[in-house]
Amino acid sequence: MTTIDPAVGVREQMRAFVRDSFLYLRPELELHDGDDLLALGVIDSLGFVELVEQVEKRLGCRVREADITEENFGSIDAMVAYVSARGGG
Amino acid sequence: MCGIAGVVRGLPGRPVETPALLRMAAALRHRGPDGYGLASGSGVGLVSARLAIVDLVQGWQPMRSSAGSVLVYNGEVYNHVELRRELERQGKRFATGTDTEVVHAMLDRDGLGALTALNGQFALALWEPRARRLTLVRDRFGVRPLHYALRPDGDLVFGSEPEALFASGEVEAAPDPHGLDDVFTTWGPRPPRSAFRGVQQIPPGGVLVWERGVVVHEGWWWQPDVGPDSGTADPHDLGDLLRSSVALRLRADVKVGTYLSGGLDSSLLTALAREVAGPDLQTFSIAFDSAEYDESAEQRRVATALGTQHHVLQIGPADIAAGFRDAVQHAGAPFVRTGPVCMAQLAAFAREHGITVVATGEGADELFWGYDLFKEVVARRAFLSDPEDGSAFDDLYPHLGHRARGPGWRHAFAAAGAADDPLFSHQVRIRATSAVTALYSKDVAAELVGNSSVQRLRGSLPVPFEHWTDLERATWLELHTLLEPYLLAAQGDRAAMAHGVEGRYPFLDHRVFEYAMRLPPVHKLHGNRDKAVLRDLAAGLVPHEIANRRKQPYRVPEVAPFFAKGAPDWVEDCLTPDSLRAAGIFDPDRVSALLGRCREGRAVGQREAMAFVGVLSTQVWSEHYLGASASRHAQETSRPRVFLALDDERVEATG
Repeated sequence: MTTIDPAVGVREQMRAFVRDSFLYLRPELELHDGDDLLALGVIDSLGFVELVEQVEKRLGCRVREADITEENFGSIDAMVAYVSARGGG
Repeated sequence: MCGIAGVVRGLPGRPVETPALLRMAAALRHRGPDGYGLASGSGVGLVSARLAIVDLVQGWQPMRSSAGSVLVYNGEVYNHVELRRELERQGKRFATGTDTEVVHAMLDRDGLGALTALNGQFALALWEPRARRLTLVRDRFGVRPLHYALRPDGDLVFGSEPEALFASGEVEAAPDPHGLDDVFTTWGPRPPRSAFRGVQQIPPGGVLVWERGVVVHEGWWWQPDVGPDSGTADPHDLGDLLRSSVALRLRADVKVGTYLSGGLDSSLLTALAREVAGPDLQTFSIAFDSAEYDESAEQRRVATALGTQHHVLQIGPADIAAGFRDAVQHAGAPFVRTGPVCMAQLAAFAREHGITVVATGEGADELFWGYDLFKEVVARRAFLSDPEDGSAFDDLYPHLGHRARGPGWRHAFAAAGAADDPLFSHQVRIRATSAVTALYSKDVAAELVGNSSVQRLRGSLPVPFEHWTDLERATWLELHTLLEPYLLAAQGDRAAMAHGVEGRYPFLDHRVFEYAMRLPPVHKLHGNRDKAVLRDLAAGLVPHEIANRRKQPYRVPEVAPFFAKGAPDWVEDCLTPDSLRAAGIFDPDRVSALLGRCREGRAVGQREAMAFVGVLSTQVWSEHYLGASASRHAQETSRPRVFLALDDERVEATG
C-alpha cells in the first residue's frame, strides 16, 4: 500500500499515486494534472474507489458521500483542490 | 465422455500413419482413461479415447454402422433411452446399450435433421467413406469442445483439444493474436477462433461438412434465441422442468455427484439431485483458507440439510500456484482468473472419491439473470436517464463500502461505454479486462490494429440484436463471450477432463433455456432480486438463508499465491524479460511495472489481478505449446480396445 508522508506535497503525492497505480497500464499517455481521468480511461469505476481511498488517507478521515463527485475526484487538480479545501494539504 | 480426433485427406492416396494416430490418442487419454480405439483407411484415421459411463463393457469407438458410416463421439445424449425405444419400434436392432449407437443410428437415418431431437452435450465426427465426407458437430451450448485445422492441401485434422492436432504432426502450434485478444477482452477465445493460429473451433450449435478436401457446408444447426415473445412461460412450470433435466443428467452406469458452492444454483441443483439419487448422493466443495473467499459454512449447511455425503477440498495459496501450470496446459489457452486451477483440483478430488460424473450449476446466472452485470446494466441505464436518482447503484457492491457511493462513483460506473453502444452491458467488464492489452508487444499490437476483439465482437452481433432489450442483449453476450469461451472451456470441460471427470449442466438443457427466455422478465430480475423464479422454487427445497442468499461471485486468490513465501521458482523464471521476449506477446518493459506492483503486494485491484494472471498464463501457455514439435508427443503404448480397418470390412476387437 502507498504510505502517506505528510512532508510530501499533496500534488506530488497524488501524481505519484496515479502514476504508480494506473498510468503503467497506459504507457503511451502523457497525463496532465487537469486531464479527466475517467474520460481518458486512466481509471474505471473501481479506480475511482481507489482514488477516494487515497484521498481519505491523506485527510485522515472519511470522505462524505455527497463529496464523492467528479468535481472533487475527476483529475489530479480536482483532488488537490479538494484535499486543500478540507485542510489536508 | 471421451476425447476424439482424426485426420482426413483430400486425396485418399496419402495414408494417415498409425504412429500419428497413436500420438493423438496419447494426447487425449486424460479425457478417456478407460481405453482407446482407432480406425484407419485410405486417407483417413480416426481416434477415440473413452471414459466409460454408459454400457461400460461395450460401446468402444470408433463405431461402424450397418450403413457403413463411422462415428467418433464425445459426450452424452441423455434422452437416448426414449430415442432408442422409438428406433426399435421401427425395427432397428442395437448391439450395445450406449447412447453413441443411438446417435449413430439417428444420424444414418435423418442426417443433420437428427440433431434437434438430441438432448445432451456432445461433439462428434461422422465419416462416410463412400462420399469421403466428414461431418463435425458440436452441442447447442458448446459444453464439449471440438477443434480443427484445415490444411492448404485440403486435409483436415480435428480433435477435442488442440493438443491432439499438434500431436498429429500435421499442425504446428503458433499463437493467434486475435484469439489471445479475445482472452484479454472477454476472458476466452470466441469460436471459431482458438488461441492458436489456424486452429478453429466448431462453434456451439455448429456444424461443418467436409468432402474430398473441400468444406461444403459450415453453419449452425441450433442458435439461441434470447428475444422470443417473452411472457408466455409459467413460473410454476420450472420445478417439473428442472426435475426432468436433473433426472436425465443423473442417468449413468456410474455414480454421479454434484459440485456444491454454497450458492443458490448449486444448492437447488443438489436438492433436486438428492430427490433422485437418495442419501448416497456425494457432494464436493472447495473451502478456501482465506475467509474472503470461503463459503464452506454455507456449503455445510446445505449438505447437512439435504443429507448428502459431503466432501470438502481445502485450498490454500500454495495449491493455486502448484496447480496453475497444469490448468493452463489443459485449458489450451491463457486465462485471466485463477478459477480454472481450483476447478481442476476439485475434479481430481472428486475422482479420488470414485466419482467420474458431476452435475454443476453453470448456466443459471446467464438464463435467469443472476450475475451482477445484469443488475449493473439496469442501474446504469436508469442513471443515464435520470442522473439525480442513483439509488439503484447503492446496493450493488456492498463490499466496496462507502467509497462506492456518491454521484462521482455512479457516473464513473454508468459512463463505461456510450449509452447507445450495443455492447453497453459489457463495457465495464471489457474495460477492466482489456487494460492489459496496453502491455502487448509492438508486433501483437500492430497485428490487432483495426481488427481488435471488440471490433470483431461488434461485427458478429446478430441481426435482431438491435431490437432486443438491454437484458436480452446482455444474455446473448454472456452466452457468446463468457459461457462457452471461458466457463465451459477453461473452467469447465478442460478443468474437469484434465482428471477424467465429466461435468453435466442441468440448467443448460435446451428446454430449460427456451423456457427461461420466454419467462416474463420480472421472474428473473425484480429490482435487485435476481433469479427470482429460482429463489421461489428453492424456498421449499433448501435452507431459507440459502434460497435468499445474495449472489457471491466465484472468486479465488489471484496474485498473492505466486509471490508468497515458498512460491515455485518457475513463476519468476517465466516472467524474466528474456522469457517475455521469447514468448513475444507482451512487452517486457511495459510489463515490468505491473510485475513490480505484484511482487510488492500492491496489485490489489481486479484490473491488475486479471492483467497479472493473463500475463503469467500466457507465459506458461507459450512455453508449453509454442515451438513444440510433434516428436515431443509420445505414442500411446497400450493396445487399442478396437481397431477398424476401413478399407475392408474387418472389425478387430483387440481389448
